[in-house]
Amino acid sequence: MMMKKNILLACITLFALSTVNAQLYFTKNGQVSFFSKTILENINADNEQVISVLNIQTGEIQFSLLNNAFHFPKAKMEEDFNEDYMESSKYPNSIFKGNVLNIANINFEKDGTSEVSVTGSLTIHGVVKIITIPGQIIVQGGKVSAVASFKISPKDYNIKIPSVVSNKISDSIDVTVKCLYQEK
Amino acid sequence: MRRKFLKYIFFLLVILVAVIVAIGIGVWNKPHENIKDAVAIKTGAEALYQSLSDKTSQAKSMYVNKVVAVTGKVVRVMKNQQEHQVVFLQSGVNGGSVNCTMEENIENIKEGDTLTLKGICIGYSGEDDEMGLRGDVFLVRCYRS
Repeated sequence: MMMKKNILLACITLFALSTVNAQLYFTKNGQVSFFSKTILENINADNEQVISVLNIQTGEIQFSLLNNAFHFPKAKMEEDFNEDYMESSKYPNSIFKGNVLNIANINFEKDGTSEVSVTGSLTIHGVVKIITIPGQIIVQGGKVSAVASFKISPKDYNIKIPSVVSNKISDSIDVTVKCLYQEK
Repeated sequence: MRRKFLKYIFFLLVILVAVIVAIGIGVWNKPHENIKDAVAIKTGAEALYQSLSDKTSQAKSMYVNKVVAVTGKVVRVMKNQQEHQVVFLQSGVNGGSVNCTMEENIENIKEGDTLTLKGICIGYSGEDDEMGLRGDVFLVRCYRS
């Protein structure tokens, strides 16, 4: 009798765990890029090691990246970004934790592109800001991906740009996020 | 005589400015480190994962931002959204890998192969107990060694 009860309990636990996991989608190789157009030259960098988790049931979404993974066309840009601006040894990660507000409207069983709004806390350079950004969740052939574009200002995150190079870096930086998820 | 001297000073100043500008341009345009030819720290994938996932400052200073040649067993190969090949090496921990983004794709690579990849180690990230996710150790700009 006791054994039957234990087996039943184990089955319920396994079912519950598999249901929880089926709601979770993740990637460890998403992409975040930024672009800054200036008079002298354009500055752009890509990070292809972005970790993201999306819970399609609750709408909870997280992004995390290592700042030193941003790759620039020029070595000196990369060096300045890590040492002078982001201070990557002191602040190694940038993190976003938030919620997809209208996740319940998305049918994850059917192909389509849904416009969404995401609100949450963005931590860059040790500064936390609450932001709301528009994005898209795309379902195609059973695969889920998320894309978003928004602007951030280095000043908002206490990133100091020396006046001697301030003409090389614009006040507003375009950020693009692309993540193709896999089911957990 | 004085005019000749001033001309000489002006000429020297022009040379000095030209040298400073040339050095500045050289520094601004210096190339990225050549990973292929760089001297690498040799280690195994499981040992590297163990060291960095323990999050000790000693392990960080030993491997992070350094060129590392890591030997391990391939557990998965995929292409990311930019069509760059990503090779996952076995870490010895379920759900965690040494995650290597390749600069040059490797042909005919399959799960179970043992190989050595050389790239820049950027650290350990992604552990999330709340979401039940294990972290990975990341290597970027990798080549087969």
